[in-house]
Amino acid sequence: MSQLAPIICDNGTGFSKVGFAGNSDPSFVFPTAITTRGPAAQPSRTGPALSSKPSHLASKRGVEDLDFFIGDEAVANAQTPGYGINYPIRHGQIENWDHMERYWEQTIFKYLRAEPEDHYFLLTEPPLNPPENREQTAEIFFESFNIKGLYIAVQAVLALAASWTSGRVTDRTLTGTVIDSGDGVTHVIPCAEGYVIGSAIKHIPIAGRDITQFVLNLLRERGELANVPPEDHLKVAGKIKENYSYVCQDIVKEFRKYDQEPYKYFARYEGEHAATGRKYELDIGYERFLAPEIFFNPEIYSSDFLTPLPEIVDSVIQQSPIDVRRGLYKNIVLSGGSTMFQYFGQRLKRDIKQIVDRRLEASAVASGSQARSSGLDVEVISHKRQRYAVWFGGSLLASLPEFYSSCHTKAQYDEIGPSICRRYQIFGSAT
Amino acid sequence: MILLEPHNYIIQTTLAEKASQPSALDVQFVDFDGVRFRLTTPDRKVPTALVLSMSIGCWEELVRYGVLDIFKREYGSALRAEPEFGYNVSLDLNLEQFPPEGEQRDAYIKSLAMLKRNALAAPFERSFQAQRQLEAAGSGQGELMALHYRDEEVIYVQAAADRVTVIFSTMFREETDRVFGKVFLQEFVDARRLPTIQSAPQVLYTTRVPPLEIRHLQGLNDTEDVGYVTFVLFPRHFAKPDVAEATITHIQLFRDYLHYHIKCSKAYMHSRMRYRVSEFQKVLNRAKTEAAVGDRKTVSGRTMSTR
Repeated sequence: MSQLAPIICDNGTGFSKVGFAGNSDPSFVFPTAITTRGPAAQPSRTGPALSSKPSHLASKRGVEDLDFFIGDEAVANAQTPGYGINYPIRHGQIENWDHMERYWEQTIFKYLRAEPEDHYFLLTEPPLNPPENREQTAEIFFESFNIKGLYIAVQAVLALAASWTSGRVTDRTLTGTVIDSGDGVTHVIPCAEGYVIGSAIKHIPIAGRDITQFVLNLLRERGELANVPPEDHLKVAGKIKENYSYVCQDIVKEFRKYDQEPYKYFARYEGEHAATGRKYELDIGYERFLAPEIFFNPEIYSSDFLTPLPEIVDSVIQQSPIDVRRGLYKNIVLSGGSTMFQYFGQRLKRDIKQIVDRRLEASAVASGSQARSSGLDVEVISHKRQRYAVWFGGSLLASLPEFYSSCHTKAQYDEIGPSICRRYQIFGSAT
Repeated sequence: MILLEPHNYIIQTTLAEKASQPSALDVQFVDFDGVRFRLTTPDRKVPTALVLSMSIGCWEELVRYGVLDIFKREYGSALRAEPEFGYNVSLDLNLEQFPPEGEQRDAYIKSLAMLKRNALAAPFERSFQAQRQLEAAGSGQGELMALHYRDEEVIYVQAAADRVTVIFSTMFREETDRVFGKVFLQEFVDARRLPTIQSAPQVLYTTRVPPLEIRHLQGLNDTEDVGYVTFVLFPRHFAKPDVAEATITHIQLFRDYLHYHIKCSKAYMHSRMRYRVSEFQKVLNRAKTEAAVGDRKTVSGRTMSTR
């Protein structure tokens, strides 16, 4: 039997992306949710159900260990009486190992239809994941599933690897700043040579969900939603965000453009009510460019978080060690669905460049010397695989031949124990 | 989910999606027992023409048992004469000729997703036929068909005048799995005593010692890890076509089903263990003695207070 493709499993807070290495898209993307028997009440420290009478073995045929749903089925069955929905991952980290173990079990057997004993696995973890979590993960994968080998990679590093597909990347380096914006939070993560600089990471509480909410607010204020059924509001806002929005270069000019030629720029959205089939229409106006604007001018949306994204990125890089800063400015990589807006990269690049140039100017004036700085390269990389960048990066790395030598194998695990998974070799580095 | 599904989810979901929205693609994926699939659009400009290829470990044996006839029956002209390089069988699919949306299309897509199931059905269908002939003849033994579907595991199928015997050699690479496996297989044997499943096929289970049907074969593994599960199928299990279909579907997933359930039980055990540990931790935390703190006074008799 020839070597089978490694399995890439990227479990995020909201969605899990799973598939086989070598492909360009994950085979399955479904919610990281599991519906089990019993209430959804989170800290389920009551333990799993036990059948009451331990009598003759053959008559005791409980199916407690099989009675659950994951992914889309979990969401669909959330309302079934007697069942409750659980989200085993919170803030990127696994909270409930019981649920997660079952979740993986069904992912592998039902969806991927792979015998785990025949495959290598690549899993992802968020930055600053405690090593204990890695050990737990390794325990589950090696002891429950007897997998052949395991590699746990940091999401940010995989996102950097995914950017190698972009035509603008000339040298394949693992140094760069990753801006990862999903549904809940946006992270700005600096990486040097494949290692995350943990002390400099910053989080921004503005991401996909907030953009949708902002679009919704704008539409409500303009009164566009009058003839849209209330249960469709969020869906319409989401669609507008995904299909009509873009980042403008100058907000004042953009407003003027829209006011002068409204027919050219205003778009029309046509929808249909899912249950009744009633058609409705609405106009899409300024929200087309205002929606992603909350990254650059957060004050238009939130009153408690006011620092624009370019400033955050700049301060993250300034907090990193001085010898990697050039590399970090030169390779700013976007990842996640909320960075998919058109012209997002250009705008970010321009804004960061302005901040950097201003600082160089100021320091030249302050030093009073005649010598001029040669300037600093700022480059923002956007590419086609941005939406599932982390998964794609994993797929890319796992199809390299050196992937197998970087993995920890079952034999090594049996020899040393879970602590072996505290450390992984970074791709392309000498041991 | 108690039973594993016989069809491949990726084929099903991908084809259903592409049937409504054709676009270029190239995906490779696997199924149980080392089966590899590839679904491509060879010409990026013609997204409606797809090729679905499958590579399976025991192809030569399957061909000998007549898999091509089954494929011709199931997929007709879609079957390519020359399979894609690196694969054993290729199907040419044209999305434009898919049945109209609805039940018909779903059924067609599902039959495509059952490609692996149909391939492995070959020895079973052949043995069912052989049994009918032998029954008419009155006695005799059919050919012993071996199917090396995994590196270390084999399915043997043999027809006799009154039954079809299916033998699985099972192999557990890990100690814990072996123990679980033994309990499970023993359960299979015992479960038949329950009145509700009297009509199920008879199951026999032995470790190390191969059953009589295959004892004459050379090179059988007789280490401690190996076990043999024998299913005895009687004509009632394959007399009617729909029952026969279901029998084939279930029996060929036996190994994966067994392993899936072993993994599930392990996960269940683990969650019990985690629960126990957290309970013990609570006990330990309660057992901590609290340091006795008396009133502390200064020499002059005033008490200290924390601010």
